[in-house]
Amino acid sequence: MTELTAGFWSAAERRELVRPVCGDCGRNFFTPQIACPECLSENWSYEPSSGCGRVYSATVVHKASTPGVEVPFHLGIVDLDEGWSMLTTLVGSRLPAIDAPVEVTWLERDGRTVPAFRETA
Amino acid sequence: MRLDEVAIVGVGLTPQVKRSEKNSLQVALDAARLALADAGLRHTDVDGIAARWPGPGGTELAPGSADWSTLLGVPLGWIGDSYPQGVPALVDAAGAILTGQATTVLITGGQAGVLGGGTVAAYTRPGNEFVEPFGAFTATHFALVAQRHLARFPHARRGMAEIAATIRNTGSVNPAAVMHGRGPYTADDVLTAPPVVDPFTLLDLCLASEGGAAVVVTTLERARDLPHPPVVLLGAGMEWLRQQYVDPARYEQVWSIGSAAARKAFGQAGLGPSDVDVAQLYDVNSLEVARQFEALGFCGEGEGTDFALATGIGADGKLPTCTDGGLLSFSHIGWGAPTLKLAEAVHQVRGTAGDRQIARAEIALAAGAGSGAQYYNLALLGRAR
Repeated sequence: MTELTAGFWSAAERRELVRPVCGDCGRNFFTPQIACPECLSENWSYEPSSGCGRVYSATVVHKASTPGVEVPFHLGIVDLDEGWSMLTTLVGSRLPAIDAPVEVTWLERDGRTVPAFRETA
Repeated sequence: MRLDEVAIVGVGLTPQVKRSEKNSLQVALDAARLALADAGLRHTDVDGIAARWPGPGGTELAPGSADWSTLLGVPLGWIGDSYPQGVPALVDAAGAILTGQATTVLITGGQAGVLGGGTVAAYTRPGNEFVEPFGAFTATHFALVAQRHLARFPHARRGMAEIAATIRNTGSVNPAAVMHGRGPYTADDVLTAPPVVDPFTLLDLCLASEGGAAVVVTTLERARDLPHPPVVLLGAGMEWLRQQYVDPARYEQVWSIGSAAARKAFGQAGLGPSDVDVAQLYDVNSLEVARQFEALGFCGEGEGTDFALATGIGADGKLPTCTDGGLLSFSHIGWGAPTLKLAEAVHQVRGTAGDRQIARAEIALAAGAGSGAQYYNLALLGRAR
């Protein structure tokens, strides 16, 4: 965690999904950067996200990168409705298809609250 | 001076092994000695070095970095911090030579004593706060690209397996390959191997091994007095889209990465894809081989696996690809692995590939990185004209 990303994780502790939004041009972006990638303005802030989006890509990981991680698990890229995207965990017994609607849910992982997504019922 | 007055005159590879007893600096130095001997040069002839590494070597004030001028006992006119090695280091070296900063540049690197057992290599999983909590590593980034491609072109899965089997079988008969003697493999063997991350099985994915690799670069004028036929730089191109393995790679952005670099390289060389005799593509996984055929202009989108099968990418095919067995079977030594591609390209062009020698290998393509990495580079090498 850095000064740049603390706002994301403190919101996550409250189970609120936020993302950087540029105060000058309105661009949504992720991961957090020092300046907006559209207009290079440093005038951006964390704004709440609806937590709703669609699966951009998804896969099943059968081999863990570190010991102690349970496999298999689902990994994906989710495109949020506000026009930003993130790498994330996909929860649920079956792997969501590309373009499936998903919503945010929260996992406790290594003492931290992290966002994950599940298929919208 | 022109680009094709820059020549690779020496190649040095240490034994490539699953686990080495040495450390990374030792294998980088071993490879350097071998490359200088191959070039018929002494270390005192070196006046430029590109030995960047997250340890060893380089110029960073970082633990594990080495002072190469002290190590070689020579003052240097130029030092490179090329990231990674392979083609980017060659381009940097060519720049140093063309601007008169150095006449003889050593590119060396590799890894040893760094791989543990049981998990994926540490360098494939950056400790980033938006990556680590979700369990992503290098192969998963490539997999998320592949899943979208296969949703569009499902037939490519079988072709991927054929590609993996072919390159692994090329490595199987190379005594220097880490996987020498393993196989032969069929496409069905690849498809039924243990899954790692969908769509990839263990046999679709490259190795993580240890060893060093080095090349020596100098002027064509100097090269003419050295033992081997000089192999000159005909063209090169690079693309950098984004830092790798943090923000996830998006299929629509990265599937064609390398196309602009290829246009640049082929344009500089005055050549086209059909002129390439041997292709040392960056085979981090089976689908990346097909993707590079598409991106570099050998065939159209979605045609990569069919192109590979119809053309033949084995030693007896029309476009021998990864002629040492590639990253899938020969070796993958971390950030030093791209130099393996230069080394094999040089051996083929100058005719020193031994039992692996491809007839009429006059133009070689050497590549680095790929779609999931979000950067790419390639060089075209050939005999001096």
